[in-house]
Parts: sequence; structure tokens; C-alpha cells
Amino acid sequence: MNKYHDDWIIAAPGILLLCFAFLVPVAGIMVLGIKNPDGSLTISYIERFLTDAYYLGVAWRTIKLSCIITLVCAIAGFPFAYVMARASPNLRVWLMILITLPLMTSVVVRTFGWMVLLGRGGLLPEALYLMGFVRRNYSLMHTEAAIIIGMIQILFPFMVLSIVGVILRLDPRIEEASRVMGCSFLASVKRVVLPLSIPGIVAGSLLVFTLSVSYFITPSLLGGARLPVLAGSIYETATKSQDWAFAAAQSLILFIGVLILLIPYISLTRKSHG
Amino acid sequence: MVRAVPPWVRGAAALFVTIVMIFILGPIVVVAGVSFTAGDYIAFPPQGLSLKWYRTVLDSNVYVQSALNSLQLAAVVTASATVVGTGMAIALHRGRIPGTGILSALMLSPLVLPTIVFALGLLMFWSSQVGRTSFVSLWVGHTVIAVPYVIRTTLAVLSTSDRFLEEAARTMGAGRWKTLIHVVLPQCLPGIAAGAFFAFNISFDEAIVSLFLRSPEIMTLPIQIYTQLEFSPDPSIAAVSTLMIGLTVVMLLAIDRLLGVQKVAG
Amino acid sequence: MKANQTILALLTSLLASVSSAVAQETLVVNSWGGAYEKLHKQLVFEPFEKANNVKIKVVTVYSADTLAQLRAQKGAPQYDVVHFSGGQEVVAAREGLISPIKPQELPNAADLYPFATEGMARGEGPVHLVTAIGLLYNEKKVPNAPKAWKDLWKSEYGDHLVLTDLSNSYGLLGFLMMNKVWGGSLDNTKPGLEKVGELLNRSVIISSSPEVQQNFAQNDAWIAAFSQDYAHVIRQSGQPVKFLLAEEGAPAVFFTANLVAGRPNQALAKKLIDFELSPEVQAAFAREMRYSPTNRKTKLDDNVASEVVFGDAVKSLVRFDPAQVDSSRATLIENWKKLIAR
Repeated sequence: MNKYHDDWIIAAPGILLLCFAFLVPVAGIMVLGIKNPDGSLTISYIERFLTDAYYLGVAWRTIKLSCIITLVCAIAGFPFAYVMARASPNLRVWLMILITLPLMTSVVVRTFGWMVLLGRGGLLPEALYLMGFVRRNYSLMHTEAAIIIGMIQILFPFMVLSIVGVILRLDPRIEEASRVMGCSFLASVKRVVLPLSIPGIVAGSLLVFTLSVSYFITPSLLGGARLPVLAGSIYETATKSQDWAFAAAQSLILFIGVLILLIPYISLTRKSHG
Repeated sequence: MVRAVPPWVRGAAALFVTIVMIFILGPIVVVAGVSFTAGDYIAFPPQGLSLKWYRTVLDSNVYVQSALNSLQLAAVVTASATVVGTGMAIALHRGRIPGTGILSALMLSPLVLPTIVFALGLLMFWSSQVGRTSFVSLWVGHTVIAVPYVIRTTLAVLSTSDRFLEEAARTMGAGRWKTLIHVVLPQCLPGIAAGAFFAFNISFDEAIVSLFLRSPEIMTLPIQIYTQLEFSPDPSIAAVSTLMIGLTVVMLLAIDRLLGVQKVAG
Repeated sequence: MKANQTILALLTSLLASVSSAVAQETLVVNSWGGAYEKLHKQLVFEPFEKANNVKIKVVTVYSADTLAQLRAQKGAPQYDVVHFSGGQEVVAAREGLISPIKPQELPNAADLYPFATEGMARGEGPVHLVTAIGLLYNEKKVPNAPKAWKDLWKSEYGDHLVLTDLSNSYGLLGFLMMNKVWGGSLDNTKPGLEKVGELLNRSVIISSSPEVQQNFAQNDAWIAAFSQDYAHVIRQSGQPVKFLLAEEGAPAVFFTANLVAGRPNQALAKKLIDFELSPEVQAAFAREMRYSPTNRKTKLDDNVASEVVFGDAVKSLVRFDPAQVDSSRATLIENWKKLIAR
């Protein structure tokens, strides 16, 4: 251990911050989820969640939507990042600025923008109506599609920027070599660039997935009260119902559930690319 | 640059980028449109054109002051998150500390929990162990949620880096710290820059942690906007958002002119 | 440069904490932002600061978040007086986060309507303002103006209804009233859940106030169940939205002013609470934002009096016992969530 004391030194601030500003404080509130008011241990709150079809439905919607959001971001993010990486430096800067603009607008105002486009008589429902897909006065607000659309808009830059960094570090000569060896343009992207960009895609997917699991303002405004997701349910239970014990139990389930999903994912990618 | 990209691929790429841009910018165009309304409530299309909501915002002390507070906070958070996150990422990448796998999952965990749980937990802890909330508690809270971005983006870049470079430097007699500063850090730069960019944005836009961990003296812009909505949901909020967008673009372009963002952003 | 900023930030925060310790006469209170807070400052805080030579720091936080903060800050409370609009004082008093006040400690308390001081026996603060829940409608769009709660079920309003989620206390009270007109009670919310269930397919369910306004402005809403004060806000912004006290009665939302426990300046804080109960302050709130006064000595001009629930009419507001509402809240909200979830 002593051998790597410099590793410990550069990691120390992060570890200390994680322990004392995150793990310990969060543990302080999470234990409420497994304790009775008198202090004895209980699993009743956890049980309440896991045996109730409503809450399981909320959890399922959360996972489903997060997976779709992550997938779409990855599928659209890779070609976008590739174009960005191969564009002229000036264009690249502009593209980067433009895709991150949604992050600079207040969530409520941004939601209003979507309401105009997705709500009754909005651009998208009208287009769908003209194409004969939906009835007149159809509204896309308060649908799962609205949640997905709104979340992709803000999470897209996290995916793209994670991938761009990696592609930019690839040696362009590798790509040229594959072309010289007879690969078509698309084949060289697919066989050479894509596999080498995996670390970026993984990093981006991790960010996008975890963020889409934990965001609650955008989903609750775009999806409405009838399509609750887990993070929104936690927020409401903690502040509106003031039931911290059950909010803590829900957080515990979310936290452990995501960690169980993430740890194999992370160690897998570490093994193949570490 | 690879030669001979088929023209149809270029065309398809241009079309693809355009569609993505329309998708990303659509709602923002609506917001900008609302901000120029002459009417008194948020509606689209705007009822008449005027700059009166911009005047309202720029005349208002609370908006300007809270924007300055947010900028100051975001600046220190970016600095601390970058330093902490980069160190952590390099250590995780080297993987010599025991429990690296679990540690890198845990390092992401602040992103997993809804911020309300973290905010309440930290407020409880801070109130019982430290005392009243202040700028420092806000700073700590924001740093915790900003660090994972730096770690992730830096790790992504590091994982494509050449390990032998570091070893070579060591073999040639460079000390551990010299190697770190002259070999490893430059390699991470694009990742650190992306992480710093996210850290700044996250802090600047964060409302929930700020709401709970600020002291009565501190108002940030997102809280100001959030609290303005309940009783005065007027277009000034759209004007603030549009101003923020304009400022971001100008700021980034200015940095680009002075330093060359291309280098930093890769 | 960055290090400098850091040190500067540290120093300023240190200085701030030191200076707040030196200046003894400071009160920290919450208010709710926007036009309400502006009025609150102008009518209450600024005059009080001048008259008593104190500094009042106003923090904008809504009721639910305020209670969450009080709970989390138990080790080091930062507010002196907190205002609630959603019945949070019941929980706060039960958990000892706020201190009981004796009615005789507040000179104005003797002039309040009995319901305004009832909670003080449970350790809550007095009610200083009241707003009613009723129907908001777009006078240019509705074929016929509604008169009663039951009108919401008329098919002529099509799918232009806006209902409020029960996690919002205005929504909760509105629902309890609908439940009541269909024969339910606080112990039996089945009739309400069943009847509102019929409306789900033709209504938008919102959970925050700005959404009410946005739905009227952008989503072709005709009719909504919400509060009188917010109706005034929307109308002031130029939309043709009118407020109606439904004929079966209107539930009352109580705004309470509470004394936070464990703070050094309680005497001064009580004085501030008492000031909020004075007839002059309450009359001004009624004039500017159409809040009903709780002090029976309040005098209003005729044009204002006709637009707020005033005088003996205040007693006709439907009151759901706050303590009982609080005890059934969690179950009711859960049942509601299950009802509306798709």
C-alpha cells in the first residue's frame, strides 16, 4: 500500500468528500427507511414498497424510461460526436455550445417551451394529426413520450461530450490505415472508430442513465401526476407528505437497485478496457 | 483527416446534425420568443413585441445580484470539483488502490440519488455537526454533485490513453509527481475540460441543493426563478433564461477568441 | 486567481456568520416569493423594521420545503418566524419544531375569529389570512358559467378541465370539498375518489400553481378548481379568468404565522406575529391580493369587501379540521395516486 502513496494522496480529497459530505449525511437519512420510530430495525417500509403493485409500477416505469432515454442518446450521440470530432474546430465549438444551451435555461421555462410544441394545437401533435396518426386536439403533454423527449434534450450533451473526448484522442492514422486496407468509409467507422469509442459511450451511458433515474422536476412537469417516476415519488413523499421514513426506504431501493446494475457494468468495462 | 468521405455521407451527416439541432433548440426558440412579448403573461406566440421584460430584469436588483451569486458559486465549485475529480479519476484509472471497482461505482452515487435526499441529509448532518448553513455548505453540496461528472469524463479520456507513456517517463527517471504533471495531466486535458464545463453548468443551474443548504443571506439565480413562479409567473423568467443563453454564448466565444476553446474542448 | 476567489468566498462567509452573531436584533422569516412577498415586505416587514429598529431577513421558501428545512435544521434552527399555507403547522407543532404561544401573549389575538386561534391550544401559531378554494373559469370560453362544484361533471366543459394533484394542499382541500358534495366525509373519501375518477379522462392534472396559469394561457383550459388569491394573480396578468365561490360552499386555506423553537429572539418574533394579526395589515392584504382577514375588527371598503369572503361570511367557509386532515393525508394521497396512475 505504501508503494502507491501518491495514488492515495491524489484520491484523498475525493474519498474524504465522498465519505463526509455524501455517504455519512445520506446514510443519516437513509437509516430512517429501515428503523421504527422507537429505533429498532424494521423492513416494513421496504416491504410496503416491494409488495405494492403501484410502487412496483413506478419503479418499472423509471427503469424502462431511463433505458429508452439512454439508448436513444447513445444511438444518436455516437454519430453526432463523430461528426463533431471530424468537423472543423470552429464548427465543433459552435455545435458544442448549441447542444449545451438547454442546460442554461431554467427547467420550468424549458418545460413551457415543450408545452407549446407538444401541447394541444402544438407543432408536433398538429403534424401527427395532419399525417392521420392522432385525433384532433391531441396533446402529447403528460405522456411518456413527453418525458422521453424532454429528458433527451437535456441529457444529450452528456453523452456527446463524453464520446467526443475519446474520439478526438484516437489517432487519425488508425482510421486512414483501415481505409488504405480497403475498408469503405462506413465500415472503417463501424469496425475501427466505434469499438475504440466504447469507453466514451460507456461513460456517457452511465451519466445519462443515472441522471435520468434521479431527475425529477422535468419528468413530473412533462409527464404530470399521472405518470409518476421513482425520483418524483421520493421528492413528494419527503416534502409534500413529510413521510421521511418511506422516502428514505424508496431512496434506499433506488440506490441499491442502481448500484447493483452499475457495479457489474463498471467492472466489466474496466476489465475489457482498463 | 481521412480523405474521400462519400458525398452522400456528408449530406446525411449534415441533415442529421440539422435535425438534432432543431430538436434541441426548438423549445429554446419558443422561450426566446416569449421573452419579447408585450403582454403580461407567458404565452406563445407572443402578444406584440417589446423589450419591457428585459428592462424589468436588468432593473431588478434581485435578478442581477442572484446571478452574480450563482456565477461566484459556480466558479469556486468548478475549481474544487475539477481538482478533486481529476485526482480521483487518475487514481481510479491506475486501479492500484484496493476496492477500485466499488469506489468508482460509489463515486457515481451522488448522481443516482434524487438531489432532495442528498440535500436533506447534508442539511441534517451540517446542522448537527457544523451549525448554520453558509456559502461553505452550499459550496460543499455543489462540489459533491459536480465531482462525478469530472471523474467520468476524465476517466473516459484516460482509458484511451497510452499507459506506456507514464511508465516510459518513470523509467527515464522522472519522479512520480513530475510524471503526473507533465505526462498524465496533459493526457487528461480534454476530459477535465468537459468535466469542468459540466460542473459549471450543474452548479449554475442547481436549485434543490441550493434551496436547502444556502443561508438566509444567499440567493441564487435558479432559486430566484423558482420562487418567482408561484405568485408572479410573468415573462421576466423567459427573459432571464434568454439572457443567460446569450451570456453563455458570448462568454464561450470570448474564451474561444482569447484562449482557443478548440484546444481545451479538444 | 481561483485560489483568490476561494479564499475570498471563505472570508466573506466567515464575516457574514460573525456579523450576524454581533447584530442581535435580527429576525429570519420565510415568505412565498413574487407579488405575495413584495406585499408581505411592504405591509409587514418594512414597517415593523422601522418601528422596532430590527433587521428582517426574508427567505423565499414554500411551506412544504420550509417544514422539511425546519426538521433537518433541528440542530441549528435558522428561522424565527415561519409561515405555512398547507397545514404544516400541525406537524411542526407535534414534532416540537415550533413553540406554543399563549393567546394572551398576542394583544391582537383577542379580536380574532375563534377558528383563527383554535390551533394555538395544540401549539400552532395563529391564522393571519384566509383564502378560499373555488372554481376558476375562462369567461370567454365557457358556454355557461359554473355555479356549483357539481357543475364540473357537466359534459359541456368537455376535456377542458384542470384538476390539482392532492400533493398540493389547495388540491387536497378542493378534493375534500368535492368528496363532501358527493356525500363523503373525512373518514370516508370513497365517494370523492369514485366521482373524480369519472373526470380523469377529460382533465389535465397539475401539481403546481404556475401550471394553472399556463394551462389557461396555452392549453385551452376552461375551468379549474383552485384558490381565490391565485385567481387574482392570473386575472391581474390580463387573462379573462374569473373566480367563483361555489354554492355548496368553499373550503378555506389557512395561512398561519408560527414561532420557531430554540431561537433567541422569541419575544421580538411574537411581536412580529402579533403585528400580522392587526386589522390594518389584514385590510391591506385584502385590498391588494383579496385575502380574507381573520381579525373581526378589520374594516374593508365596499368594493374590496364584495370580492373577498368577509365578516360573518368567513364563518360560512367550509373548515376541514386541520388535525384530522393531517392524520388522513398520507393514506388519502396514496389512494389518490393509485387512482390516477396510468
